[in-house]
Amino acid sequence: MSIKPKNSLLQVNNLKKYYPVYTGMFLKKKIGDVRAVDGISFEILNGETLGLVGESGCGKTTCGRSILQLDPPTSGSVIFQGKDITQLRKQELRAIRKKIQVIFQDPFGSLNPRMTARNIIGELLIIHGMTDNKTEYHEQTDHLFMSVGLDPAMADRYPHEFSGGQRQRIGIARALSVKPELIVCDEPVSALDVSIQAQIINLLQDLQERFQLTYLFIAHDLAVVRHLSDRVAVMYLGNIVEIADRAELYINPLHPYTKALFSAVPIPDPEIERTREHLLIFGEVGSPFHPPAGCKFHPRCPFAKSVCREEPPFPGKTIDDNHWVACHLIQ
Amino acid sequence: MKLNPLTHKKIRRFQSIRRGYYSLVIFIIMIGISLFAELLINNRALIVYYKGEYYFPTYGQMIPGKIFGLDYEYETNYRELQKQFQAKNSDNWVAMPIVPYGKLETDLKEDRYPPFPPSFQEAHYLGTDNVGRDIVARLVYGFRIAIFFSLILLLANYSIGISIGIVMGYWGGKFDLFFQRIIEIWSNVPFLYVIIIISSIVVPNFMMLILIMAFFGWINMTWTMRTVTYKEKEREYILAAKSLGASNFRILFKHLLPNTVAVIVTYAPFSVSGGIVALTSLDYLGFGLPPPTPSWGELIQQGWANMNAWWISISVIVSMLITLIVVTFIGEAVREAFDPKLHTTYE
Repeated sequence: MSIKPKNSLLQVNNLKKYYPVYTGMFLKKKIGDVRAVDGISFEILNGETLGLVGESGCGKTTCGRSILQLDPPTSGSVIFQGKDITQLRKQELRAIRKKIQVIFQDPFGSLNPRMTARNIIGELLIIHGMTDNKTEYHEQTDHLFMSVGLDPAMADRYPHEFSGGQRQRIGIARALSVKPELIVCDEPVSALDVSIQAQIINLLQDLQERFQLTYLFIAHDLAVVRHLSDRVAVMYLGNIVEIADRAELYINPLHPYTKALFSAVPIPDPEIERTREHLLIFGEVGSPFHPPAGCKFHPRCPFAKSVCREEPPFPGKTIDDNHWVACHLIQ
Repeated sequence: MKLNPLTHKKIRRFQSIRRGYYSLVIFIIMIGISLFAELLINNRALIVYYKGEYYFPTYGQMIPGKIFGLDYEYETNYRELQKQFQAKNSDNWVAMPIVPYGKLETDLKEDRYPPFPPSFQEAHYLGTDNVGRDIVARLVYGFRIAIFFSLILLLANYSIGISIGIVMGYWGGKFDLFFQRIIEIWSNVPFLYVIIIISSIVVPNFMMLILIMAFFGWINMTWTMRTVTYKEKEREYILAAKSLGASNFRILFKHLLPNTVAVIVTYAPFSVSGGIVALTSLDYLGFGLPPPTPSWGELIQQGWANMNAWWISISVIVSMLITLIVVTFIGEAVREAFDPKLHTTYE
């Protein structure tokens, strides 16, 4: 999809986000951590879309927020264009914020109900001092409105006067307003109707081509991720278990969790659905507060061996150039 | 100014609650009357026509009696002047306000002791208090002081309470914890004793009394704002603003504050009535504004001391009742109009 040469835009190295848990009223004693993100590493290339999938509570959103520095990571580094952004001072961080933007999941909560759509999408321009002229401001916001397929005549309305899909377009326009290079899409379509989902996904694709954007696309809908991503990373309980090219991953998933995840998606053809192999897993997702030792997936894994219970499967194995998996069973 | 359509809806809803809407109209009229009380209740004349010249003594410097051909240098007694002019049947005339008595003026009779009962003939429509001051004048000027007292107090309480509360909620953590403890200690300081101690050392004036009251009054709003901010700051638009690189200042004032306005507005009328009651009770106890400032609390105290002068207690109690009912009705209507169940921002 991308035209640009494939060099790395964002590198995440051993990123960890722990939330400490305290007990006691006065003498607070730390009793442990909730390991929301427990050491993940990946890379996003210029102009590509990396899909990040996993079930609820596996740390996808936390991972996105840690990259954005909204939730400063506990350890690890986030290298954006060759610069570690976890250690930046406030002013430097503000400059980076222009380059990394975010689209939120909930189009109802992510827009300030007391501001007009124009001021919502224009806020960035004001914050970063990119315009000080009123007509210019109007022109730019009108232009942003048009680029996400909204009528600029509606710009002075308030969020509650828009539909869910329109609001999500406003959210996208806001992210676009500073001409970012990377956009973290935090489940941008999961709160929308299916018909609207398709529109928004197409819009995101159009915009990617027009503005040479790079996406980190966080979702739990495998079909959406398949449609949009160049590469896909699968997360389980704070770890990435498998990263591969989209085609490779969907045809040849290696990790038992990935297999189970894909076989849980029904295929809209009863013939195939009946005859294909289903990999069922049992039990509940482990607790990020007391994660299982060894491979975190082992209590649910039908193929678990003794090594899985004792040793974490890291640093994983690279199968070929574009396929990486963290599993003891894969040779 | 373009109002947010939601705000518009709230205002319309407020107007549709008849009881609250008319209470607001009455309340505004009451404040309006008290603001221009000098034109309605005053011992200075509205207009004096004397030897082909017009005088407007209501506002401005006092006019000595000599100007009108009287034999004294101090301020003209316009009621006497009016009687004189009428007796002489001259071209000169005096137009007096409806109630021709001042707020501090004592109207004494040679043959009787005050308090005097209501009398239309003497224009003491509600009688006088026990030193001969007109009760209407005392009520209206007292209302003016009480209402401005509570409005300024509200402003002081809310600006302190809102800023501390919003910061507590926004930053949370140690700052929040520290101020929570401070407030807990603070709210246990016995307010009345402090007032008694202070007013036994100095006689508190208007601003000082507000200062003392605000010293203890900001706490409630702080709790409320803290809670509201905690709730509001978790919503995604705040996160969005952060990811845009908005400064804390901008997030606080541009995003958080406008979204907590509903709470602030809902509390305001009840704080106003609270302020009136507080000042009245302090005056009643004698720790409020020093005499002879017109005050309802002092009138209640007089009514209590002179039970047989029924007009004192009845007029002040009725005025108090009307004021508090009106303010409470406004408050109820505002609360109902801002009820989030009626127009939620979620769908």
